[in-house]
Parts: sequence; structure tokens; C-alpha cells
Amino acid sequence: MLWWKAWCESRARFLLSAGALAVISATFVFMHRDVSTGISDEPMTYSVYIWKITYRGYLRELFMILTLMLGLGGLTRERDHRTAGYTLALPVGRGRLVAARAVMGLLQTFALAAIPAIVIPALSPLVGRAYPSLQGWEFALLWAGGGALVFAIAFIASVLFGGELTAPVAAFFGLVAYSLIADLPVVARYLTDIHDLMSGSDMPYFVKSSATIIGPMPWTSLAALMMAVVGIVVIAGRISQRQDF
Amino acid sequence: MRDDLVIHTHQLTKRFGRFTAVEALDLAVRRGHITGFLGRNGAGKSTTIKMLLGMTHPSGGTGSMLGRRIDDPRENRDAREHIAYVGEDKQLYAFMTVEELVRFTRSFYTDWRPEVAQRLLAQYQLPPKRKVRALSKGMRTKLALLLALSRAPELLILDEPSEGLDPVAIEELLQMLVAAAADGTTIFFSSHQIAEVERIADRVCIIERGTLVEDLSLDELRESYRRITMGFAEPPPDEELHMLGVRRVRRSDRQLCVLASSNVEAIAERGRSMSAVSVDIAPIGLRELFLESVKAEP
Repeated sequence: MLWWKAWCESRARFLLSAGALAVISATFVFMHRDVSTGISDEPMTYSVYIWKITYRGYLRELFMILTLMLGLGGLTRERDHRTAGYTLALPVGRGRLVAARAVMGLLQTFALAAIPAIVIPALSPLVGRAYPSLQGWEFALLWAGGGALVFAIAFIASVLFGGELTAPVAAFFGLVAYSLIADLPVVARYLTDIHDLMSGSDMPYFVKSSATIIGPMPWTSLAALMMAVVGIVVIAGRISQRQDF
Repeated sequence: MRDDLVIHTHQLTKRFGRFTAVEALDLAVRRGHITGFLGRNGAGKSTTIKMLLGMTHPSGGTGSMLGRRIDDPRENRDAREHIAYVGEDKQLYAFMTVEELVRFTRSFYTDWRPEVAQRLLAQYQLPPKRKVRALSKGMRTKLALLLALSRAPELLILDEPSEGLDPVAIEELLQMLVAAAADGTTIFFSSHQIAEVERIADRVCIIERGTLVEDLSLDELRESYRRITMGFAEPPPDEELHMLGVRRVRRSDRQLCVLASSNVEAIAERGRSMSAVSVDIAPIGLRELFLESVKAEP
């Protein structure tokens, strides 16, 4: 039932996010003639347009913000809403509470990552275009990896900071700090920049001229990201164990 | 550890920075009793309950509930399987409906009594399909009570249970608590409503500034506790009244007011020997004991 509680707690945020991503993806498909001239004077292929507007551009940024919002909640927020006493009186450990919320949030992140992969290839034929499903799902996988890290940053911020605004602001600055550090040449060799990973920019598996993924997926980077995510969630759980409510 | 104690703390302490909320608390709650936990706002009642339930970590001391250590997360969780709790806030998940919350809570306990839950839903007139966020404060309180009273726990812990209830609901609540106690549930509840405590509790613990200042049965209070008021023609002598049974002494202009838990006649006789012109002995109620306990020390 903790899964169900985690779902009930986050379903409004998730469904709104999913709806927003689906509607905007659909809008980008149906309005591609108008939008493509707005983002570049140069003529471009449909695949390049989708990549620029979706997988590298606005939709990816929106996805990251929505994923960040999914990471918020938990016992610290419950303390502010005065429901922590009820939750903590249940005969379950704090580790299970944290785990249920983390797993539910990650599943929702993965589901959000899949939305453009479903919507864009499905609707493109309606405007006389085609976008390969496989490309969509490969980007979905990259988004899932990057989104998981954004979720984890928001998750630990929500454990550390109470208040309606403090946690999202802290999570946002955490993400900005990560982005700046990942851009440093010294660090770039060792730290995966999730912005590049998610869009494919400057990545060996991506051809920019055709905006297609051609090489093998970056499994090592994705695995490292997931390990970092698990590590952050475990640390959040440990912090939660020590907190007073 | 005594088997007849469902709650037992030894020197339990909680500090928040420089502020000490609970200090060296030695609390003993006996099995099968209804124990009232009295104290002023900020006296440490809720902090004590939160430490018992593992929500707040003690800064010092030890404690146990139902034979399990409160500071061991695993043992505390095991204890909570046999405990029902209604917190002071009575805030519940706003995003669930009444029936969703009932179903959610029921899934964690083996002692859930569906027939009692149904009866209380009807009695409290709680609309099952309504979201908790749409309930009034009184209805939320009733729902919180329903979730606790629909079980048959070994121990029921209530923090200000009647707050937010109308007089009819308070009456029903008190009757239900008495019935639960008759079924073998130990009840430990904090309250500001002394009349309620006096009506249903058989034991009382009074906490002041984080320290236990009284722990007695109400029978003991009625039978043994007395206020001895000694009147003097002149300011009363400075002699200390160090005698068996003397709990507190308050001096005023021409009076000594002694709170005695026993040995009343001897204390009164001592007053007369100190040239008291009048010695009145009167029984005291819980309200007076409480007021004496919390205002005696400067």
C-alpha cells in the first residue's frame, strides 16, 4: 500500500506533466511548418527539426523541470503538512517509505521520458511525415537516464529542506551547480553531462547533420548514472532515518 | 523490566539545541489502565509521545513500549504494530478520500475490525467518497479517531483526542475509550481538558518543563491528597515543613498552604504547634492538583 500512497501523492503532478509533454509534443508535430521557420532560417529535415525542438530544445528542458517536480515530497514535506505523525506511526520503517517514493518517482520519470517517443512517431504520419520509433525510444532511454539524475537531485533536496519553495529552489540550484561542474574541462572527462547525454550533442553515438543516433548506446554512462541515482537515494534514506519529526 | 508496564522510560531526555523539551523523564504507564498525561502547552507531552513512537530521537535516557526499545528502529516498528495513535494535529492525507484512507490504514494491521469501522463511519457521519481535504476540522478529528478505534490494539496513544470535537462527539469518544479499556486496551492520552481526564482516567501523570511532577492514581488522589491551609496571626514562621507526605508548600502573607499526599493529621498537628490560628483540611480535585503542580516552582 505504500506504493499506492506514493502514487496517490504524486499522481496529479505526474498526470499534469504527462499531459503537458504529450500536448506539446503533438503541437510540435502539427505545427512543424510554422515552428521550424521560427527556430532556423535554414531549411532542415523533419528529423533535425524534431531533434532541435524536442530532444535538444524546449521539450527536454520542460522534461527536466517536470522531473525535478516529481522528486519533491516525502516526510519533510509531510512535516510541513502535519501528516508526518500519521505516516511515521504506521508499522513500517523509514527506509521503506523512502524506497516506495523513490521507486514510484523513478517509474514516473521513465514514463515521462517515453511520451515523446510514443507521441511523435504516432502523430507524424498525420502531417505527412515520418519519425522512426526506434530513434524515439533511443532518446527515451537517454532521457530516462538523465531524468533519473534530475529526480535524484530533487529527491535529496526534498529530504534536506522543508517548505513549499525551499526544496524546489534548492533542487534547481543543485541542478545548475551540477551543469556548471559538468562543463568544466577538468571534470568533463570523468563526469557525464546529462544535457549532452540526453540530446546526443557532441556524443559519439549521434550524427548531428542528420540528428540521428547511429552508434551503440552509452550503456556505461547510463549504468554510472543509475548507480549515482541509487547512491543518492540511499543517502537520502540514511538522512531521513536520523531526522526528527 | 516490569511486565505490567506498557510504557517505561528512564531518564528520557530530548534537547533541541539549547532548549530542553524533556528532561530525565521517568514515566511508567501500567497495563490495562487509562492514564491521562497532563501538562501545560510546551511542557513536553507531545515530544515525549513522539520519542515513544520513534518520530523523534531521544538525546539521552532509555525507554520501552510493550517490551520493545523505543530507540531501536526495528523494535519500535514492531511495537507500533500493536499501537494505535492519534496525533495532536489530526492531519491526514488530503489527497485521499475517506474510504481510501480507511483501506490504506487497514492494510497495515491484523487487528482491524471492519464492523467497528463501518459503525463509526455511520456514527460520525463521514462521507466515504469525500476527499480528506474537503473535511472540516471536526470531521478530520473523527476520521483520525476512527482509524485508531477501528483496531483492537494493545496500547492506544492519543494526543489531545477531543480537540476540535463538539460536545456530543466528545461524549461518544469518552465512552468509546472506556469501552476500549474494558476490552483490555491500555490507553495513554494527553489532554488539556482536566474534566475529561478526571472522568475516564484511573491514573494521571503530570509533566512540567519536561519533568514528571506527579504520577498517581485518581483513587489515591481522592483518598489521600489534601490541601491543608494554615492561618497565622502573624507572618508564618520560616520553618521548613520537611515531613512525610508534604508535596508542596506555598507561603503567602499570613498563610501556609500545604499539599499533602499522606500523613495529613500529623502535618495539621505540626501547623498547630507552629501557632497556626486555623487549620483547614480539604480534599482536592485533579484540577487543583494540576494547578498546584505546574505553578509551584518559580
